[in-house]
Amino acid sequence: MLEILKDRTGEIERLIEKYPSRRSAMLPLLWIVQRQEGWVSQESMKEVAEILGVTVAEVYEVVSFYTMFQQKPVGKFHLALCDTLSCAICGTHEIVAYLNEKYGIEKNKVTEDGLFSLELVECIGACANAPALLLNEDLITNLTPANIDAMIAGCRQKAGAPAATA
Amino acid sequence: MPEVAEWERVLLPDIEKNETEWLADYVRKGGYDVARKALDMEPEAIISEVKESGLRGRGGAGFPTGMKWGFLPKGAFPRYLAVNADESEPGTCKDRPLMEQRPHTLIEGIICSCLAIESEMAFIYIRGEYYNGAKILDRAVEEAYREGFLGSNIFGREGRKLDLVVHRGAGAYICGEETALLTSLEGYRGYPKLKPPFPAISGLYGKPTIINNVETIVNVPFILKNGADWFKKWVHERTTGLRLYSVSGHVKKPGVYELPPTVTLKELIHDYCGGMRNDHDLKFVIPGGSSVPWLKPDQIDVPMSHEGVAAAGSMLGSSAVMVCDHTVCPVWALANLSHFYKHESCGQCTPCREGSGWLYKIVRRIEAGDGQPGDLETLYSLAGEGTPGSGMISGKSICALGDAAAWPVGSAIKQFREEFEEHIQLGKCPYKERNISYWMAEGRFVNESFAGTPVP
Repeated sequence: MLEILKDRTGEIERLIEKYPSRRSAMLPLLWIVQRQEGWVSQESMKEVAEILGVTVAEVYEVVSFYTMFQQKPVGKFHLALCDTLSCAICGTHEIVAYLNEKYGIEKNKVTEDGLFSLELVECIGACANAPALLLNEDLITNLTPANIDAMIAGCRQKAGAPAATA
Repeated sequence: MPEVAEWERVLLPDIEKNETEWLADYVRKGGYDVARKALDMEPEAIISEVKESGLRGRGGAGFPTGMKWGFLPKGAFPRYLAVNADESEPGTCKDRPLMEQRPHTLIEGIICSCLAIESEMAFIYIRGEYYNGAKILDRAVEEAYREGFLGSNIFGREGRKLDLVVHRGAGAYICGEETALLTSLEGYRGYPKLKPPFPAISGLYGKPTIINNVETIVNVPFILKNGADWFKKWVHERTTGLRLYSVSGHVKKPGVYELPPTVTLKELIHDYCGGMRNDHDLKFVIPGGSSVPWLKPDQIDVPMSHEGVAAAGSMLGSSAVMVCDHTVCPVWALANLSHFYKHESCGQCTPCREGSGWLYKIVRRIEAGDGQPGDLETLYSLAGEGTPGSGMISGKSICALGDAAAWPVGSAIKQFREEFEEHIQLGKCPYKERNISYWMAEGRFVNESFAGTPVP
């Protein structure tokens, strides 16, 4: 019985039809789950397994392999900051410190208001526009204190939260 | 800063504008005319034109594209084309602007390539991090279906069909490896497979499959339109055509530059990219993505072709140039890259899974001041001299990730042995300004006229 994905069966069947093999829809289905729920829970893995006709273990095996799938809840705005060489030599660690000092955003933690979480990730393919991060699924490049401030303010506004105290 | 003459650009003529060329615009400029022409060509004729052009894969290995297509077994169908848009080699960021700005050139390239290899189904495997690129491709594919350029009876030709699916990865460097890309596309963990059998014989769903990089495919319609001789206008030894160089790190104007293979690494850094940021000294360059051996400042006066960079002792790879100035501690930089490979090893085979972890731990402890006498010898015995097959990892793993983890280690020690020894002797990193960035001190340090994609 589907609960989490019950309203999306039409979309899911159209997606599966695109592939010669049903199982190929594994990553696309997990993306649907994560975009809807913000993370991939055990419950949702059961539903994906049911749709694809595989075991939950097989779904879990895939979820745990791909780093972009979150296995526990993250902030409403999840920051995946690149820490591979091209970004790292252009200020990744200064950005971590800035986010921490000014906004109380800490690595591998969700802020108390549930709005933000931060993760250091490997290369995200924005090397010539370093440093860069993914804000949920959107790429933000050429990070500076000013555009980080703008980004955070934008997120807060979107969430209807009061402006940050400096 | 020296003036750089305007140069001819074909793949990304307007990269600075960062605009997507949608179907109406593309068709107005003659888009899809080449695909129409290709429909009347014998597959063999398309393959021989591509062979004649000397086009080599732009993903890193540089394998001749036409020759790869020729490996498909005769009479075996269905066949698949998988476009490798996983672009995950650190330093490489050229396929992203190609997909975001010229999605229809890629689709036309896919149509031409599928006609050549007689495939009726293609996939674009795009890395999960490129969400914007995937959205743009999805919309462009939808446009092409609506116009009848994809689907059944393409371009109104009875019985000619081609389906195209955009498939997103979800964060795994290994999925850029061709066999891992296919297992991932089948809905499994991205585990590479032993070769042979090569994917051309047994690939996606066990069927003959060709895997080509985005930039490789985008070149195909240009070659069919203008001819192999046109493509060979830009040539250095056996490297032909214009190519996209991703330049990152401590240059004044990092970006994606489309240049002929005769351009030297020195010109690329000092002329096109405006030289070193803050007029600092160059410490070392990684010329072809993070896996390749490092070059010192006296080694950069070489053409950026496969042969030119090989003669300098490194590899052109994905033509991603990472530039580090004198404030970057080479031991710290190596620890950063070794962490990457340890993190990205798929864990399937022992030499790579264990070896990449050992490399990281030893390099990290040297950097942290806990290096032991004999550590460099241990690293050498594991990683070899930075050459293929030497050491305990390179050539001993299922795929090339093991080699990629080992090569930078052997090469970094060879280039900066004294600095590694100094770390061990002092019991600390001698770089006072280590990993300095001008980020906080000077605010926006990126040159405003960078040739990359701006903040969205």
